[in-house]
Amino acid sequence: MTSKKSIKSAFESMMFIWGEPLSAKLAAEVFNIESKEAYDFFKELQSEYEEESRGIRIREVNKSFQFVTDSDNAEYIQRLCTPIKHRRLTQSALEVLAIIAYKQPVTRGEIEAIRGIKCDRVLEGLQKRELIEEVGRSTGIGRPILYGTTDAFLKYFGFASLRELPEIEDIESAIEFEESAGILDLQQIELEFPEGQQPSDE
Amino acid sequence: MSYKVKLNIFEGPFDLLVYLIESARMSIYDIQVSQITSQYLSVIDEMKKSDVLVASEFMVLAATLIDIKSKMLLPRMSLDGNDGEYEDPRTALVQKLLEYKKFKAASELLTAREEDSLLIYEKPKEDLSIYTNDPDELLTLDINQFVRAFNDFVIKKRKVDEIRRNYERDERHRITTEARIQLITDRIAKEAGRTFSFFELIPDRGNTYDTALSFVSILEMLKQRKIDAKQKSLFGDITITATAYLMTGLDDSQGLQEESIYDK
Repeated sequence: MTSKKSIKSAFESMMFIWGEPLSAKLAAEVFNIESKEAYDFFKELQSEYEEESRGIRIREVNKSFQFVTDSDNAEYIQRLCTPIKHRRLTQSALEVLAIIAYKQPVTRGEIEAIRGIKCDRVLEGLQKRELIEEVGRSTGIGRPILYGTTDAFLKYFGFASLRELPEIEDIESAIEFEESAGILDLQQIELEFPEGQQPSDE
Repeated sequence: MSYKVKLNIFEGPFDLLVYLIESARMSIYDIQVSQITSQYLSVIDEMKKSDVLVASEFMVLAATLIDIKSKMLLPRMSLDGNDGEYEDPRTALVQKLLEYKKFKAASELLTAREEDSLLIYEKPKEDLSIYTNDPDELLTLDINQFVRAFNDFVIKKRKVDEIRRNYERDERHRITTEARIQLITDRIAKEAGRTFSFFELIPDRGNTYDTALSFVSILEMLKQRKIDAKQKSLFGDITITATAYLMTGLDDSQGLQEESIYDK
């Protein structure tokens, strides 16, 4: 039985070579241990790097782990690699992604109904960037394609898993809060309203 | 998306409507339809003026707004005169706007996350083929292909082994017919006049190759009339005696020379 310390050390070497997120399952197979055990080792490594404030951190993406840089050092990396390429997603792409992320699996029709506008091009672009993928077909009329998010989506937004997405209820309650603040306005408008109606009544 | 370039601020009709409602500091639950509709239409007019193709979706919402506005002007009374069951014509739109706002908020959250994660750099997956020695090629083989390849290898190895065996034997027996004839001639010349058994003319080792070589040599010598050979019975021993020719002209090249001179 290989010691825990040497397994963790080996995991570091493997992550270094792999570059892309290394799945805990694959790493576990190398040592013939349980995936859960490997996962815990990776989590331990992750917190060790964090505690020591290392320039390299371990990022989790859907039970896979990867070495990345510390975001505090971004400025120095940008100085080193100039000109750095920043390609942010457009507002419409982000809206479509948000809908897919929360409602997946979801059809194009459902997305368009929410946004009130066509989004075939946006979907195409997101698919090309591999942030979303077709995950099947709906049983509805015409069997439309169902879309879902990918691991690349998790990585792009820095989520370890879809569970990390904030609850949509939280977002809703944020809106509710906004609405309750607007009740005062509502009453003011209510006062105005009969005035507007009076001419039609007369 | 033709409208996308032109309307970089508004991502769609709902986006525009939400913006108008919010900037008018209006509650989304109590939209002043008349006011909002005129604002909405004036924005669309402006779009048209600046020679922008207004997406049909914007027009659809404009029509919806006008529809709601006209319904709002009608007395709030159902046909049977019951005032209580009046349904606000704005409800459906409000529901849609709320749903849209929910996801717009989620998209803003994603924007923030995007901003943060853009500061994190990863290494792209590197080319590991220098370590892996073309594993793809092996992995694409199915079991039948693998068995076939293995069989091919075994057959090839067997052939190579056989060739090597023969090759080694060839090397061992580099004795030529000429050398053997010389050996036999020497032997017979030593004891001229005596009758030899064929087996006496095979060197000590006496394997199949040596036997065949001696036999071929004797045939050759018979042809050159250097010896007489007799075989009394089928598969019996062959008896060999030297001829006068062998005894007089030991040098066969000389003999041949004489013959060729004679021919001329």
